[in-house]
Amino acid sequence: MNDEFFIGWQKRPPPRLGRFLAMVAGGLVLGMAALGLALGSADEPGGPDFAAIGAGAALPDTAEMSGVVTLLPYPVLHRADGRPVLLGGDGKRGAGIPPGLDGQVATARGYVQQRGSIGMLVLDAPPVAERPGTPPPVQALGRWRITGEICDGKCAAGSMVAGTGLAHRACATLCLSGELPAILVSAAPVFGQSFMLLAGPDGGPLPETLRPLIGLRVSMEGALEWRGNLLVFRADPAAARTP
Amino acid sequence: MSVRYTPVSWTPFKWWFDAALLAGVALYLWVFTWLARGGLDEATVAIRARGTLAFILLTLALAIGPLARLDRRFLPLLYNRRHLGVITALVAASHAMAVLDWHFAYSPTPPWLAVLVSEPGVTQWPGTPFIPFGIMALLILAVLAATSHDFWLAFLGPPLWKAIHMSLYLAYALVVAHVAFGQLQAATQPGLAVLVALGAGGLIFLHLAAALRGEAWTAIAAPEAPWLIVGHARDIADGRAVVMRPAGAEAVAVFRNGQALSAISHLCAHQNGPLGEGRVLDGCVTCPWHGFQYRLEDGRAPPPFTEKVATYRLRLMGDQVWLDPRPNPPGTYVEPLRA
Repeated sequence: MNDEFFIGWQKRPPPRLGRFLAMVAGGLVLGMAALGLALGSADEPGGPDFAAIGAGAALPDTAEMSGVVTLLPYPVLHRADGRPVLLGGDGKRGAGIPPGLDGQVATARGYVQQRGSIGMLVLDAPPVAERPGTPPPVQALGRWRITGEICDGKCAAGSMVAGTGLAHRACATLCLSGELPAILVSAAPVFGQSFMLLAGPDGGPLPETLRPLIGLRVSMEGALEWRGNLLVFRADPAAARTP
Repeated sequence: MSVRYTPVSWTPFKWWFDAALLAGVALYLWVFTWLARGGLDEATVAIRARGTLAFILLTLALAIGPLARLDRRFLPLLYNRRHLGVITALVAASHAMAVLDWHFAYSPTPPWLAVLVSEPGVTQWPGTPFIPFGIMALLILAVLAATSHDFWLAFLGPPLWKAIHMSLYLAYALVVAHVAFGQLQAATQPGLAVLVALGAGGLIFLHLAAALRGEAWTAIAAPEAPWLIVGHARDIADGRAVVMRPAGAEAVAVFRNGQALSAISHLCAHQNGPLGEGRVLDGCVTCPWHGFQYRLEDGRAPPPFTEKVATYRLRLMGDQVWLDPRPNPPGTYVEPLRA
């Protein structure tokens, strides 16, 4: 029987106990490294579907771009090449575009956040109106039930990676409170798209009653439509539920 | 033991303990962050690395106690557990600050206010708020880290101090809830779930195993009340004790020091450590947890120390040792039994 007895305030443990404790220390250090490798490498990359589905041509990182501005449910710049770009402001703030720009051809400057099919231009300054424009045509697609996650278009566009999921709920809630565009990231592709701009039944911004569902897997019903090359889902809050 | 308060009573062993601990912490963060990044942004990687590290350290802190009961070679780790606890609290705080600086920053709403207003109500399911669990756990860890010093032990008294520090278990449960209602709800990889399951399951197993490993002798009533039969005097090894657990009373440790037998409380006055699992060194019972010492004949710590524990009367009947389970006031002199 090992009769060694070590008191914590003694300078050094006895030899046999010291060897045991040295092995424990070595095991601790190596074990922590192994855990770091296992957990770090097992960590999920954020939103792989964004990059895999519906990706358009890459947008430049810093850009001046023009197109037709629409403001509802959230500001979007519909570029001449057909690619819609969400508009946002710095941080967790919306673009703050004056109402008079709705339907105008405008030039906007800023930096681009882009992940797969989602692109957002983070404005340096309000867009400059050039002339009246023609908003993209609206094509009604009927009533749909779609399962997905409500989040903000900025984080989903790559400001934050993963940028989705329940752990990101608080951030998404703050982004949407700051009037950044709300989107629904669908669980399965819809018309080749992984996301759609989310609107209330009246075509305005996300209703406050849907706020508790941010970041969760939700099933929503409502009218789906194309606005140019952007899917817009006018969700009925009464029919939204967690599966 | 010390009669004055010092921030840390450093010894070479303590330096080695802290060096190994900090090396493990640094290596974990480095490997997680730089070798194993999985496509997340830097801030999110830091949040996850620090969060998982805090969980691992908390699990280790709670595992040391039962490990030391199951294998006495782990006792030196118990002696230095406070440092592990403080580092755990710091890592958890750095996790919280990283979250605050990322998920709650850059908003028109001030970060500290955003923490309070961005979660739904507690009754929501699915989507039960998980951030409050983390905040409560962090507050507990902060209090425990701040009071991890002998000043607070002396100021609050051992029973209250011990009760406060038992809330570490509550903090652990809150951390498990924080992870279970948070990141685990959205995880697509099993790594975190496996970590939590193994950590919490392992802790439950260790505590059950330690609890079932009873070292106390069954108290048998002697023919004459209130005496209890301890057993044969020769069965008590020199320098060691047998522990009796009288019904409805505190456990008692009956020690042999050469030819002398003495009985004192099983619970150390410092942190209720198991005195009966200690040894007699230099004529004093030495607590295995933190080395507090007590004289066998009166249960008092040798001067200049002032701690004292209850003593008990013993009686020799033939070869049998009897114990009076009624405690004497702490520090009461009792003539050792010669056997």
